[in-house]
Amino acid sequence: MHPSSPATPAVTLQGVTRTYDGEQPVAALAGVDLDFPAGTFTAVMGPSGSGKSTLLHCAAGLDRPTSGRVRIGGTDLSSLSEKHLTELRRGRVGFVFQAFNLVPALTVEQNILLPSRLARSAPDPRWVAEIVERVGLAARLTHRPSELSGGQQQRVAIARALVSRPEVIFCDEPTGALDTQTAAEVLALLRAVVDDTGQTVIMVTHDPVAASYADRVVVLADGRVVRDMPRPGAARIAEQLAGLGRRQYAVHGEG
Amino acid sequence: MLSLAAQMLRFRKGGFVATFLALAAGVTVLMTCALLVESGLRYHGTPQRYGRTVAVVADRDMTVTRTMLGEQESTTLTLPERGSVPGSLVHRIAEVPGVTKAVGDRWIPVMAPAAPDTAVTGHGWSGATLAPYELVAGSPPRADADVAVDSRLADAAKLRPGDRTEIVTGGRTLSLRVSGVVEAPAAEGSGSALFFTDARASRLDPRPGRFDAIGVLAEPGADTPAVVAAVRRAADSAGATTYTGADRGLAEEPEAAAARNLTVQAGSAFGGYAAVIIVFAAASTVGLSVRHRRRELALLRAVAATPGQVRAMILAEVGLLSALAALVGVPAGLAATGRLRDELVERHFVPGTFTIQGGLLSGLAVTAAVALVALAAAWTAALRTTRIRPTEALGEAAVDKGLGGRTRLVSGLVFLAAGVSLIGLTGATGGDTALGAALGMLYTFVLAIALLAPWINQGAARLLTPVLRTVWGNSGYLAAANLRAGARGMVAVLTALVLSVGLGGTVWFLQDNLQRQTEAQSHDGTRAQHALVGTTGLPASAADQARRIPGVEAATGVRRTAVIVRGGLEPGTALAQGIDPEGADRTMDLGVRSGNLEALDGKNTVAVSASLAGAAGWEVGDRARLWLGDGTPVTLRVVAVYDRGFGFGDVTLGKATLAGHTRTSLDDHVLVRTADGASPAEVSAALDRVARQYPAAAVTGTDRLTAELGADLAVSAWLNRMLILVLVGYSVLAAANTLVMAALARTRELSLLRLVGVTRGQIKRMIHAEQAGLLGVALAIGGIIAAVTLSSVVNAVTGERVPYVPTLGWITIVAGTVTLALAAVLLPIRRVLRVSPVRGIGLRE
Repeated sequence: MHPSSPATPAVTLQGVTRTYDGEQPVAALAGVDLDFPAGTFTAVMGPSGSGKSTLLHCAAGLDRPTSGRVRIGGTDLSSLSEKHLTELRRGRVGFVFQAFNLVPALTVEQNILLPSRLARSAPDPRWVAEIVERVGLAARLTHRPSELSGGQQQRVAIARALVSRPEVIFCDEPTGALDTQTAAEVLALLRAVVDDTGQTVIMVTHDPVAASYADRVVVLADGRVVRDMPRPGAARIAEQLAGLGRRQYAVHGEG
Repeated sequence: MLSLAAQMLRFRKGGFVATFLALAAGVTVLMTCALLVESGLRYHGTPQRYGRTVAVVADRDMTVTRTMLGEQESTTLTLPERGSVPGSLVHRIAEVPGVTKAVGDRWIPVMAPAAPDTAVTGHGWSGATLAPYELVAGSPPRADADVAVDSRLADAAKLRPGDRTEIVTGGRTLSLRVSGVVEAPAAEGSGSALFFTDARASRLDPRPGRFDAIGVLAEPGADTPAVVAAVRRAADSAGATTYTGADRGLAEEPEAAAARNLTVQAGSAFGGYAAVIIVFAAASTVGLSVRHRRRELALLRAVAATPGQVRAMILAEVGLLSALAALVGVPAGLAATGRLRDELVERHFVPGTFTIQGGLLSGLAVTAAVALVALAAAWTAALRTTRIRPTEALGEAAVDKGLGGRTRLVSGLVFLAAGVSLIGLTGATGGDTALGAALGMLYTFVLAIALLAPWINQGAARLLTPVLRTVWGNSGYLAAANLRAGARGMVAVLTALVLSVGLGGTVWFLQDNLQRQTEAQSHDGTRAQHALVGTTGLPASAADQARRIPGVEAATGVRRTAVIVRGGLEPGTALAQGIDPEGADRTMDLGVRSGNLEALDGKNTVAVSASLAGAAGWEVGDRARLWLGDGTPVTLRVVAVYDRGFGFGDVTLGKATLAGHTRTSLDDHVLVRTADGASPAEVSAALDRVARQYPAAAVTGTDRLTAELGADLAVSAWLNRMLILVLVGYSVLAAANTLVMAALARTRELSLLRLVGVTRGQIKRMIHAEQAGLLGVALAIGGIIAAVTLSSVVNAVTGERVPYVPTLGWITIVAGTVTLALAAVLLPIRRVLRVSPVRGIGLRE
């Protein structure tokens, strides 16, 4: 469709830090530099508290970094107001969360069209029909989210993320609440988004199997990138993560 | 955005019911108040007897002007005894060019025993031309014993020309011949009229040499505005008012002006008090519903909605709700006002001609006001959503963090201090000012509590933790933790509960205290055993006759009236009694504090209650300037200050001072004290014989008199009580609303507890413990506020240190609070617990 040229990355993070205020300030991101090339599928992994969700939020413009820069397709997010940030998310970014993805008051079709409605733009009906067909929800358009299974709800969320033809789709544990079979269907759908339409997918997960669908796996620990592996395969990912876990455990044991 | 909002409303009906109820009930209450004001402003009475006049000259009110802080402030008061105009003014007005005729109209209170339920007034025949009344049968009254009656009275008493009938006036029964039946073309007024010959009317009129009003008839084709202006100049020079157009009704029925003041004042005062509660209820329900939807709103933000769009959606939702609320509330308010009007007429607060008028203006104003309040509340709540980071959609349930800013704490403490400082200076002297003072003080305290509620809730939860753990065990432990964590969320509930308890405990009991104080003072201060009561009035001869009965130690004729005093803060009407001073100390004990009641014999003396003396700054020996009931200014020497103002009125005058300045010149009752050793039965029998000589007179024990005084007071307190009941009801509704909303929003939390192994029984006990804690605190704080407010206001008004609190009253308050908790929390929780926990945890919040 209209992927950015391979030369310019879809998303760039430069020296991004994020500190949460409190009695004891917590540095969730301690300086991250990453490029996410257009048309690739990246999995972000790491133990709990490693900062992977914060990374996703900052990269997607849902949260603002304490310092550093985030660019989406060349646009610097730090200079944008809350309103412009929303408009950028609306047009160029899609989201799939672990749960609570859908507005319960709206039907499947209304949920899918919600971003366009908020943007006051009418999407191409053929494109919408194609997406609905692709996620396999043509028969469920008038249902409410409460009438759908977990996998179906995630597929609605993916369809919603695809309607505006975004450059990047961010996913936060999209298969976290799903069984293996349903998870595989959802991941295949995301893989197809990258392969068929050249869009960029950035997914946070801690499931090595899910990560094995990606072109590249980035592992975070203590707010820093500790591994950056191209197509590592599920077994190697699991091994790396296990090593990371032991190391952390050892650190905690010492302290 | 509107259609999205509509869809949200349809889907989340349950979540919006509370807001809708608060708004709809608010519209109903405000609509009733506004419509009462609008009807009052449009009400002029009915100029039935003056239909043909271009102007009516009369004296029905007076304006007191004084300088307050360098500014002229004037208050217009309806004269309690009608007022009159000098007879000489008739000639001066008749000489005005363009005036064909100026007719002095007399107004004589009469009663027709043949139709006791019909209100009738007597007039001279020349006054009939002002309507004009036309003969429909018979002839005008020509002989002294002739009377012409209007068709309404003729129908009610079944009278025809030639019939003989009895008419009671001036404390005597006249036997008269019906000479004719007359009818006026204008709309029917609230009373009937009958006409004596002019000579007879002049003799019957208790205000010799004066007229009740002067009707002005103009030549056909005359320049009416010019004529009226000339008449007005003549009237002004005599201190009288000129009424034209619909206002002529105010001259005919001064009760109309009183009713107008009453409805406008009651409507606006209670509308104001209600508005405060409505603002609070709307803000808390709207705020709570937004708070409960944080995740949904965060999702919208993450998916693609700008903060402005989320705000617009919330505003659209609340706007739609307000429109729906107006659709229900305005007709409900119309119906309620209709009912209220009937009740007011039945209890003689307003004349029968008072009707509910208009509604369009009130409806629009109220709808706009409530929508504005709701939208403002929505806007404030929506501003908070800007701070919701879209990332919250990904996180777990939002936890209320923090108690509130320093500003909130400081302003709360300031209001608390203000409330405390009000304790000493409530400045209340009478029933209505006491009510205003009590409400002002109560609202100050409740505002302080609303601001301080987060800290109060948390402090109370800390304090209650060991108690709850001891009584309820593990469930109590959980409850205490919930109370601590939810300190911020329960602010609205605490405030609404404190407000209901405070309102009920203060304002409601205040009425009881005033009534009880009046009855007690009247009872303690009445030394007479018997009372000769004449419902149409007793002439002075009745008291003389009673005094001459052997075995009677003293008899005092008592005439109830009212005077206008400058008072301390604002000019107002004070209840007064005119008495025969001689021997009065043996029939009544006013509790004289200083001076001597015996000195009340001259025409220029007065005795006043301690509270009025305090307010006006009068002491024994001072010259007191006041106005008698008909507006006549008098300067009287204060000879005594007494305590029992509630039982006997704030002003006591010699009857001679009142002569010619009241409507009837008759006594309301005669107090009779039997000498020691005299046979009560014989005295009673002799009194009965006296009573038989006077129309509608009877002998009763003075206990009955006191009881009737109490009953009259209960009637006059009815409007206040009713309106307070509405306020209490509304704040209870607000409390129930927030409780139900909070309870239903706990599905996930309770499901989680059950999944981790808390049994249903334990959850129920936990809820009981929470409610016990919350309600206990609310009852305690509400009770303290009520006690402080009530005792300080009661102390200021009656001098009693400890207010009277009826047992049934506080039982009702406690039982009501507990019932509220049962209905508004335990029932919804039971419903929540019916959902299986596995399903419940997955449900939307």
